[in-house]
Amino acid sequence: MEINDKNPVEKDELTGDKLLSGHDYDDIRELDNNLPKWWIWLFIITIIYAVVYVFVFDVIRIAPHQEDEYNREMAAAASLTPIAQAMVFDTLIAPLTDQASLDAGKAIFDKNCVVCHKAQGQGLVGPNLTDAFSIHGCRYIDAVNVIATGVPEKGMISWKPQLTKDQILQVASYTMTLRGTNPPDPKAPQGDPCK
Amino acid sequence: MENQTFYYDNKTVKLFAYATLFWGVIGMVVGLLLALQFIWPQLTFGIPYTTFGRIRPIHTNAVIFAFVGNGMFTGIYYSLQRLCKARMFSDILSKINFWGWQLIIVAAALTFACGFTTGKEYAELEWPIDILVAVIWIVFGWNMIGTIIKRRTRHIYVAIWFYLATFVTVAVLHVANSIEIPITFFKSYIVYAGVQDALVQWWYGHNAVAFFLTTPFLGLMYYYLPKAANRPIYSYRLSIVHFWALIFLYIWAGPHHLIYSALPNWTQSLGVVFSVMLIAPSWGGMVNGLLTLRGAWDKVREDPVLKFMVVAVTAYGMSTFEGPMMSTKTVNAISHFTDWTVGHAHIGALGWNGFMTFAVLYWLIPRIFQTSLYSRKLANTHFWIGTLGIIFYAVPLYWGAITQFLMWKEFTAEGFLKYPNFLETVTQLKPMYAARAVGGALYITGIVIGIYNLIITIRQGNFIAEEAASAPALEPISGKRVSGEGAHRWLERRPVQFTIAALIVILIGGIIEIVPLYLVKTNIPTIASVKPYTPLELQGRDIYVREGCYTCHSQQVRPFRSETERYGQYSKAGEYVYDHPFQWGSKRNGPDLSREGVVNGKQYKPNSWHYNHMLNPQKLNAQSIMPVYKWLISDDLDMSTTAKKIRVMQMLGVPYPDGFDKIANEDLMKQASLISADLKSQGIDCAPNKEIIALIAYLQRLGVDIHSAGLSAAAGTGNPVN
Repeated sequence: MEINDKNPVEKDELTGDKLLSGHDYDDIRELDNNLPKWWIWLFIITIIYAVVYVFVFDVIRIAPHQEDEYNREMAAAASLTPIAQAMVFDTLIAPLTDQASLDAGKAIFDKNCVVCHKAQGQGLVGPNLTDAFSIHGCRYIDAVNVIATGVPEKGMISWKPQLTKDQILQVASYTMTLRGTNPPDPKAPQGDPCK
Repeated sequence: MENQTFYYDNKTVKLFAYATLFWGVIGMVVGLLLALQFIWPQLTFGIPYTTFGRIRPIHTNAVIFAFVGNGMFTGIYYSLQRLCKARMFSDILSKINFWGWQLIIVAAALTFACGFTTGKEYAELEWPIDILVAVIWIVFGWNMIGTIIKRRTRHIYVAIWFYLATFVTVAVLHVANSIEIPITFFKSYIVYAGVQDALVQWWYGHNAVAFFLTTPFLGLMYYYLPKAANRPIYSYRLSIVHFWALIFLYIWAGPHHLIYSALPNWTQSLGVVFSVMLIAPSWGGMVNGLLTLRGAWDKVREDPVLKFMVVAVTAYGMSTFEGPMMSTKTVNAISHFTDWTVGHAHIGALGWNGFMTFAVLYWLIPRIFQTSLYSRKLANTHFWIGTLGIIFYAVPLYWGAITQFLMWKEFTAEGFLKYPNFLETVTQLKPMYAARAVGGALYITGIVIGIYNLIITIRQGNFIAEEAASAPALEPISGKRVSGEGAHRWLERRPVQFTIAALIVILIGGIIEIVPLYLVKTNIPTIASVKPYTPLELQGRDIYVREGCYTCHSQQVRPFRSETERYGQYSKAGEYVYDHPFQWGSKRNGPDLSREGVVNGKQYKPNSWHYNHMLNPQKLNAQSIMPVYKWLISDDLDMSTTAKKIRVMQMLGVPYPDGFDKIANEDLMKQASLISADLKSQGIDCAPNKEIIALIAYLQRLGVDIHSAGLSAAAGTGNPVN
C-alpha cells in the first residue's frame, strides 16, 4: 500500500514543495525536490577536472611529475649553489675586529653554535672555545677552516653550505674573542695547548 | 495488521550519553595539556607516561573513539530504534557494545601511557586491543542489523544508510590496517612495510575521518536536524545521490596525506582528484541539512539545539572544502607538516563532531528524562563560548602555519636558507601556540557549562528506561521489485542487499590503489645499498616507535630545494622496504630526521650530542620544546625480545641470514660497546646495555644507506624517470 500510493499530492505548508508520500520515518517526512542545479554543475566540473588532471599528469604525462619539478627548481637555483664549493680562504688573513662584524658573528654563533659549544663557548658536546687549548690548531685560519669544512667524524658539520664566506669569517672572529673569558661550568681542556 | 506494543531501550542510550560527556572532558583536557607543552615543555614532567609522544595518541584516540565514538553510539541507539519502530535487537549485545567499548578506551589510555603502540596514527592500539575492537564493532553491527531486520517500517531511512556504511567500512579498514605479527603481548610488527604501509595506513587514516567522523554524523544529522526543526528533509533524491557518491569517492582519497612523498606519482594523482571530486558529495549533506531549515530559521534564533547544528553543518561544509584544497599539490606543498593540518582537523572535530554531539545530547537527554532543558540561557552561553573557542583555536594555527612555511622556504640572495636552524621556525610560533591553548580552554569551559546544564536537567527529570511505543507489524511483501517501485526504493526495504551494495562500493577504490603496490615491481624500485637494520638499530627503532617520536618528527624529505638544502636528498620509495611500521609522520614540531645519521650531512650530530639532548634538550637549546627523555639513559634495554624480533622480520621478508636470530644479541652488544666507548671518549659514562645506546644507533643509521648509494637526485623514487 505504501509503495503504489494513489493519494493526492501532499504539499509542505511553509514552502509549498511536494512531499513524498510513504516517506514517513518516525514523523520525519521527505520532500520531492530536485538536486540544486549549482550543486550538479559543481559535481560535473570536479569530475571533468579529475579526468583532465589524470590524463595530463599520468596518461600523456605533459605535466611535470614531482621529480621533474624538483630538477627544474634546482636548475633554476644552480647559479647560486656553487658559491659553497668555491670558497677558498687566504691563510694569512687576520681576524675581523670591527664591532659590526663581531656582533654579526655573535648572532650567527648564538643561532647555530651554542647547541654544541654552549652559550658562552664553554663547551659541552663540542670543545671549550674559551680555554688555551685546541684540537685543530689555535690560529684564526684554523678556526675558519674547521667552521668551513667541519670535522664530520667528530660531529662538527661543515658550514660552507649554510653560511656565506663573510659569515664564516665573522663567526670565526667572534670565537677568537671568547679566548680567556673564563665562563662558568667550562668543559675540560681538549687537544694541544696554544702557545 | 494489529498494533503491537513494544519498549524502546533508553538505558543504553543514557549510558552512552554519560560516557560521551565523561570521555569528552578527559580527551580534551589531555589535548589542553599537549597544547601547553608547546609553551612549557617541562609540563611533560620528565616522566614517560606524560610525554608528548605518548599522550598525543591518548588525546586523538580519546576524542575520536571515546568522545565522538560514544556520541555516535548515543545518537544511533536512540534514533535507530525509533526509525525501525523496534527495540534494539538484543539487550545483551547492547550491554556488550557499551561495556566493551569503555573497556577498549581504558585499555587504550593505559597502554598508550606505557608506550605500547604500533606507531600508526589513529591506529596505535596494539594487537590484543585491535582484536577486541574488531569483536565489539561486530557486536555493534550485529545488534544494529538485527534491529533493522526485525523493524516495523517498510523502508530504511537515509540516516540508517549512513549507519550501515559506517559499520561495514570501519570493519574493513580496521581489520586490513591492523594485520600484525605479535612479538610479545604488547608488541607486534605490522605486515606492511614502508611505502605500502604508508598507503594502507592513510587509506585507513583518511577513511577513519570519513567513516567514523563523517558518515555516522551525517546519519545523526538526518535524524536530529529535521526532528529539532520539525521540518521535512529538503530532497530525498539529493540524499540518494550524495550518499552513494560520498561513500564511493571517499575511499580513494587517502593518498592526499602523502602528496610529494615517496608514493608513486599516479597514486598521488588519484588522491588529489578524488579529494576534489568529494566537494559536491560532501556539500550534498550540508545543503540537504541547511535547506531542510528553510522556513524555520526563526527557530534557529530560539533553539540552542538548532544553533549547535547550524554551526556544526557549516563547519562540516568549511572543512570539506578546505580538505580538497589542501589535497592539491600547490596547497599541500606549503600546508603539509605545518599546523594548518591541525587547525583543519579541529574545525572538523570541535565544530562538526563536537557541536553535533552536543546538539544531539541537548535534544535527547530532556526527552528520555521526560523534562525540558534546565536552562536555555546556559546552553546559549555554551554555544557562544564554544564557537569563540573554535575560532581562537583555529585562526592562530592558520597564522602560525603561514609563518612557518614561509620561514621554511625562504632563501637568502646568496642561495642559503634564511632560517637554517629549524628551532627558529618553532620559537616564532610560541604566541600562536599560546592563543591556541586559550581557544582550547574556552571550548572546554563551554563543555563544563554544558555538563552542568545537563546534570541539573537530569536531576529535575524522571528517567524512562523503558519507553512504550506501538506500531503495526510489517505485512509480508514480495522480495522482488513491485511495479512502479524504483530500484533504490526497493533497495531501501532490503537492508542486507543494501549493506552488501555499500560494501562493494567502498571496496573498489582501496583495491585499485593498494593492490598494484604489491604486484607491480616498478612502483617501489629497490636500492641495493639499503640493508636491514642491525639488531641494536632495530631495538632502537622500536624505542623510537614506543616514545611516539613520529608525532613531532617526520622521516620524509620532500623533493623541494628548501627541504633538500635543509635535510639532504629527498626520500625514495626503496629506502623504506624494511620499515615495519613506516614512520614518515604527518607534522613537524621538530625537524625531519630521515638524514640524521649522514656524517657529511647538514643534520649530523655526534653520539654525545644525542646523549646530552635526550638527557636535557634545553641545556643544548634554551628555546627547545623537545621533552626530556632521561629514562632512556637509566633504563636497561630489553634484549629478551631480540631473537623473536629478528625471526618475525625474517617471516616478513627481511633478508637476515639463516640462524641470525641466535647471534643477534651478540651482534647487538658488539655495536653497543662501540657507541658506549665513543661516549666514554667524550667523558660520558654509559653502559652498552642502556636504551639510549640503541636509540642513538638507530638515529645514526637514518639516511646512511641512501647516502652511500650515491644516487643521482633524479633516480629511484617510485616513479620511473623518462
